[in-house]
Amino acid sequence: MTNSLFSADLLPIHALIEAEQQAFIADEGGRKRAGYFCAYTPPEILNAAGLRHARLFKAGSPEIVSQGERYTQSVFCDFSKSCIGAFDKEGGDPFYHAVDKLYTFHTCASMKRAAEVIEQFVPTTLLNLPRLRNEAASRDFFRSEILHYRDDVAELVGRAVTDSEVSAQIALYNKVRRLLRDFSELRKRPNPPLTGLDFLELVRGFYYLPPATLLTAYEKLYQKLARTHDDGSRPIRLMISGSIMADGDRRLVELIEREIGARVVVEDHCTGYRPFAHTLREDGDPFAALADGYLDQAPCARMKPLDDSLDFSTGLAEEYGVDGVIYVYLKFCACYGVSKLEFLDRLTASGVPVLEISSDYSVSDIGQLKTRVEAFLEVLQGQRDDRIETNSKEHVHG
Amino acid sequence: MKISDIIGSDPWKPAPAAPVVGFDIGSRGSKGVLLTPDSIYTTFIPTGLYMQETADELLARLLKEAKLRRRDIAYVVGTGYGRISLAYKDIPYQVVTEITCHASGAHALNPRTRTIIDIGGQDSKAIKVDPATGRVLEFVMNDKCAAGTGRFLEKAAVLLGLELDKLGDVSLQATEPAVISSQCVVFAESEMISLRARGERHKDGAAHANIAAGIHFASARRVKSLLGRVGTEPDLVFTGGVANNPGMRHALETLIGARFVPAPIDMIYAGALGAAVHAGRHQAAAAAAKQAGSAAPPRRRAATAAEKPALAHTA
Repeated sequence: MTNSLFSADLLPIHALIEAEQQAFIADEGGRKRAGYFCAYTPPEILNAAGLRHARLFKAGSPEIVSQGERYTQSVFCDFSKSCIGAFDKEGGDPFYHAVDKLYTFHTCASMKRAAEVIEQFVPTTLLNLPRLRNEAASRDFFRSEILHYRDDVAELVGRAVTDSEVSAQIALYNKVRRLLRDFSELRKRPNPPLTGLDFLELVRGFYYLPPATLLTAYEKLYQKLARTHDDGSRPIRLMISGSIMADGDRRLVELIEREIGARVVVEDHCTGYRPFAHTLREDGDPFAALADGYLDQAPCARMKPLDDSLDFSTGLAEEYGVDGVIYVYLKFCACYGVSKLEFLDRLTASGVPVLEISSDYSVSDIGQLKTRVEAFLEVLQGQRDDRIETNSKEHVHG
Repeated sequence: MKISDIIGSDPWKPAPAAPVVGFDIGSRGSKGVLLTPDSIYTTFIPTGLYMQETADELLARLLKEAKLRRRDIAYVVGTGYGRISLAYKDIPYQVVTEITCHASGAHALNPRTRTIIDIGGQDSKAIKVDPATGRVLEFVMNDKCAAGTGRFLEKAAVLLGLELDKLGDVSLQATEPAVISSQCVVFAESEMISLRARGERHKDGAAHANIAAGIHFASARRVKSLLGRVGTEPDLVFTGGVANNPGMRHALETLIGARFVPAPIDMIYAGALGAAVHAGRHQAAAAAAKQAGSAAPPRRRAATAAEKPALAHTA
């Protein structure tokens, strides 16, 4: 694979992910296979029950979108259409066809309706996720939903899932989250030793690989990357903020990093850095820990109050010292599309230039996308040059 | 044309030290501007199937007009959607986006420019410019959709049986602009067809004018929505091919409630002029680097920002 979208260092990890997907499809070992859509579904329970499991977020192909469009109106986002299209028995995705059970703590209305359509293709359990993340009642309710989820999973595997098994998984997943956070920390260097595309591949691994397999492979890579020598280049630093960036939707980051030569150093979306910003409590009732932990994670824009999401986004941009933010959302996204002005205004007010892009999985707009991103980077480069010039003048006169 | 005839006799800051060229290879038309220390030459041809051939043709025309030879050209900058497909073996070449180029072009002609509306064949853009530098502060570009672009007007002209360059004039005759509400060119087209079907024979002229005005207002509403984040601070400047359409100018001025500042040249050339201005800066930076190189060990940074090609593609 000479043309892969990530650095050569990640090839072994990529190979592990591919092998895991093949095993999933081939039903190796005869274990039941579970899938889930949103980052609010705790994989801890699935792993505690010994299931094979994966987050289902493959999308990006226009064919799968049109497959899904047979079941929806046009005003669903391309991701929710892709989820339906991939489960569709005719022309869907074999990985999705291999799923024995779908669990989804739905976030947005589109995904809820998508799951209801998908029920005809695969046994599905739809669970509720409260919106008001700071209310005590939300936490109690969410905990009881997680207990339903556990019971459902126990029924699927035909055995009980114990509290201590769940606690052990919380500790294990925390370890993985911390490691991914460490990887991301490396991107705070002026010349990050891993690209945004690399980090997306690591996140992809998180959603496909068993955590034990992941830890072995990732720790080795982390040691290697941490030792990378700084060659002195200082690429323009970008944050991507907004809706889901599916496994298969790489064209924006590819354009930024491969064609233009800037760097994505952090993501404020649920398929980038965001799910790893927070770890869970490891003592006491594991179900309360899951309920609190998942509600306390860096929030999706569907959660309330929205200020929490805005604070997280601006804080992250500052923490990673980004030159600019690209706020990208899927067309018809009821969360990120509708709250775009709040995000744009807040980021702009915090002094970070931001480019808004509404996107989908068609390919016809690549030229326009390129012009926008290039022009935005010209703006950022200009500002950086001005800063350098001002600094050197101050230096001379000071 | 002498630059002093356009700008006046004050020294013109963007003037290059040697002849440079800017190309703006658009979706419909391609524009070329050649700048010498004291003159400006412009040329326009429809964009052909092969961008390089189009650019070669533009260059040949410009050289002929300026009475220069190819080797006299010190630098070329390309912009527009065909910018990436250009390559030169014998002339230094850089790529800059049309957003940056329209800002530089408009600013070079009028340093008080703060807001630009650019409407071309397939794109429309609103650009906020820093009057101190001519740099882009913020920009918004239309969605991948023909509403609010030249293509939409082209379609409308065909439907009304008018030449494109008459469409704007006809629209100014409207007594009661038709209401066309569709955001989509395809639906707007069917709205136009039903409006036309309603028009009585003897009122044909008036109906045409009203429909034409409706089309311009529908497009202008679309473009106006781009100004949300960019604002409308004066001087407000209209660039791109559609800047020559008086109907669109009128509709935009009516909706925005502000006037465009008259431009000293045909603003279809704003992008190509901006590209030429960038070519001039690149040329100056290259010359300075060369001089510094022969006098002293190379410095990591030359004085100007334009020297840094980090974001440009060397074809």
